Amino acid sequence: MVEKISFSINGQPREVEVDPEMMLIDVIREVLSLTGTKHGCDNATCGTCTVILNGKAVKSCNTPVKKASNGTLLTIEGLAKGKELHPIQKSIAESGAIQCGFCTPGIVMELYGLLESKPEASETEINNALNKHLCRCTGYEPIQDGALMAQKIIINRKNY
Amino acid sequence: MEYKYIGKSYIRPDAISKVTGKAIYLDDIRLPGMLHAAILHPEYAHAKIINIDTSQAELMPGVVKVVTGKNCNFHYGDNIKDLIPIAVDRVRHIGEPVAAVVADTVQNAQKAVEKIRVVYEPLPVYVDARDAIKKDSTLIHEENGDYWHLPTLNPQPGTNVANLYQLKKGKGSGGFEDADVVIEEEFLYPLGSCAAIETHGSIVWFKEDNTIEAWSSSICPFIIRDDLAHSYGIPVSQVRVHIPEIGGCFGYKSDITVEQTIAYIASFVPGYPVKWVASRAEDFTSTLLGHGIRTKMKIGAKKNGKLVAIKAEILHSGGAYADTSVNVTIAATHNCTGPYEFEHCDLTGLTVYTNTPPVGAFRGYGHQESQFATERMMELLARKLGMDSFTLREMNYLSEGKVNSLGETMWKLNGDIKACSDKVKDSVFSKDKLNEDENYFYGRGFAAVMKSPKGAPFSTKGCYIKMNIDGSVNINMGGAEVGQGLRTIVAQIAGEALKIAPEKIRVYTELDTQFSPYEWQTIGSMFTTQGGRAIIRAADKLILILKQTAAQVLKTDVDFLDYDGEFVFLKNDPSVRVSIEEIARGYITSDGITIGEVAQSVSDARLPRYSNPDKNGQGSMGVEYTFGAQAAEIRIEKKTGKIFVDHFTSVFDVGQVINPLQIRGSVLGGVTISVGATLYEKVEFDTEGKILNPQFFQYHIPTNKEAPKQTIEFIENPGSVGPFGARGIGEHPVIGPAPAILNAIYDAVGVDFFEIPVTPEKMKKALLEKQ
Repeated sequence: MVEKISFSINGQPREVEVDPEMMLIDVIREVLSLTGTKHGCDNATCGTCTVILNGKAVKSCNTPVKKASNGTLLTIEGLAKGKELHPIQKSIAESGAIQCGFCTPGIVMELYGLLESKPEASETEINNALNKHLCRCTGYEPIQDGALMAQKIIINRKNY
Repeated sequence: MEYKYIGKSYIRPDAISKVTGKAIYLDDIRLPGMLHAAILHPEYAHAKIINIDTSQAELMPGVVKVVTGKNCNFHYGDNIKDLIPIAVDRVRHIGEPVAAVVADTVQNAQKAVEKIRVVYEPLPVYVDARDAIKKDSTLIHEENGDYWHLPTLNPQPGTNVANLYQLKKGKGSGGFEDADVVIEEEFLYPLGSCAAIETHGSIVWFKEDNTIEAWSSSICPFIIRDDLAHSYGIPVSQVRVHIPEIGGCFGYKSDITVEQTIAYIASFVPGYPVKWVASRAEDFTSTLLGHGIRTKMKIGAKKNGKLVAIKAEILHSGGAYADTSVNVTIAATHNCTGPYEFEHCDLTGLTVYTNTPPVGAFRGYGHQESQFATERMMELLARKLGMDSFTLREMNYLSEGKVNSLGETMWKLNGDIKACSDKVKDSVFSKDKLNEDENYFYGRGFAAVMKSPKGAPFSTKGCYIKMNIDGSVNINMGGAEVGQGLRTIVAQIAGEALKIAPEKIRVYTELDTQFSPYEWQTIGSMFTTQGGRAIIRAADKLILILKQTAAQVLKTDVDFLDYDGEFVFLKNDPSVRVSIEEIARGYITSDGITIGEVAQSVSDARLPRYSNPDKNGQGSMGVEYTFGAQAAEIRIEKKTGKIFVDHFTSVFDVGQVINPLQIRGSVLGGVTISVGATLYEKVEFDTEGKILNPQFFQYHIPTNKEAPKQTIEFIENPGSVGPFGARGIGEHPVIGPAPAILNAIYDAVGVDFFEIPVTPEKMKKALLEKQ
């Protein structure tokens, strides 16, 4: 059954006509052609499909699109303001956290979900968040480094 | 040596596109009129196909074509042409393509493929080479020996042995006569998956003009191109292969994997691009697996610890098709000596057909599997001799002047294994060992490692450089970027060679066989070495072109000119000069006549004097050996048997560090992959050849919290082949973790393991047995 579902994505209002049980990742990638959100497994294990729904990081591969109805979505494409990268993007790019880059969008969105709502998150909380993601390239250390660099920038930004 | 751009941590040029989600991977490509394929896999790992009924599938919505292998009459492969794109009358492994549906959407293709009915007649299944090699075993390929193969391969017709490789150095096994002490053990590095986060995928488009265009998540576009052209009887020039960004490789996206299957399917719908992307389960079952190597090793030594002889049998469960496994077996065999000199070697490598998905490259390519044995054996031998294991190793290291199993002499330019070993020893073993406490046992273990180069007679890498009118530079090469960071390295090497800031150099992004310079394939940790050499050779040619033009402008001889990246000038008087902007496209004289050539150049580089093995299995691998040493500091939880790798130390002699941030990243990731292999990862089969854990929640790869803290250092004794003395590092970090961790387990609790992964259950059981 196809239904009309409305939401805002990356600041733009959109309406899609899809099966409400369709997974959010398929709507994002196939219907809206936002291919920055990645598909790495088939059972919510790898974290590459993570997006922000109503301020929280969720795995879009096991979230039916109906849950986004009238909600606010943010994907990796919506993070930078023009050419100005979000502090998490900038830090992740500079810390050596990017190799193949396939897990990167999911990790950036996970950190966004954590650090934008809780800039003073503890290192344990950051590590718990990163533990929801699989990376086969980096051994994770540069991702932790990037997360901590980003956290400093975000805290400083909020203090002004 | 001081360099301007080498040895500095430039940020990779693809970082921004990857962190903004704009980098295009295979599954992100959408083409006009694109159709989607779904593939049927068998219920049996080994069976004859009696009948395939596609009638119901053909009636399903959105279906354009249902494809079977009924009339498929060709084999393909790079080393042995034993591969088929789709099953014809028999299936040999559980992930084999049996039939396929092409439809308008992925969902419709998948729904239709479930309606295909196949009748099979099951055959005996062999998951392990030890079973497949028995005298009365059913032949998995009755054609074994008849397939085209490289002249260096030696299949054994009438058996399941796809290749037999033998190496004899000195007296071979006769060398054991000179030994005072002999030890013998058997080790297993089981089947694993490279498990890149991006699964494999391909798009193939048979066009009406009799050309083929393909896209693939592969590191071998030129091999795919040559192979497709051969299979479909068209000139190589008429096949165009694109490689977009690749979401990790680690080996299994090399050689040919899924491309020929998707091409075969697409050949039934000419005019339409057909896309297929593996599900995670298909990535485990229908692409390549890695490892699957059992090593029987016998080592003989003098009482004083001098190694004398080694005999090894590498038994490789090569999977249903051996095209991609044969060379892994060979590498595992001649590299099984590790970083030690043995006067006498008797080494045998057997690649055996089995009923698992084909086995191919896995980062490390045979080295970690057989050196796992060597480095455990060094500890066992030291114990038997009553010697310190460092002393034993140090007596036998393949240092300058020593000769390896292949008969190649080691030079200073191959690096200093002793220096690596000493650094690790000082950093990890000079402090006191932690004592057992209420909850944990503590242990430390060491491994010294050696990595040989990986060549082939035509394993060259090409480079094209063009200088623009503003003095900026574009570089085009055929090296596949899988995450290793080669684009950054290209910019830095070219910057140094051309004396131009890397910021002014634009490095190629996607590969396209229509435009990319020829490259064999981006494998074997060889890109920096060979590709870097190609860049320097092309840069030298380009500078010569600039000087030739400048010589006419400045009315002098080429050899009286110098170049600094901005100007070409007289050696004696730098004020007499011409800027590169003025000569990059030839020099325009005042009357409009242009003199000189456009500043662009092409070059390539291969490993010097690589040669095929001789009758003793010896030869030259091409100079570039690299050595290193690694150590694990572990903790074993008494209650659960769980092993924690708290710290891991690596030191490699890489000749010259090009980019400190990136090289650290390579080692961090490489070590973590092998920590996974040592503690968690094994592709599990039941007796019928079905894979029991083809998902990430079942096949566990290391997470953030399981990755060890690492200390990583480099020694820089320059090599002779690579740019500015740099050697490869991509695969090297994966070699030492398994033996280092197992040696640490012995150090902690006095238990010897000979197989990985050492799971908590196995550890717990061993602890109970010991009590």
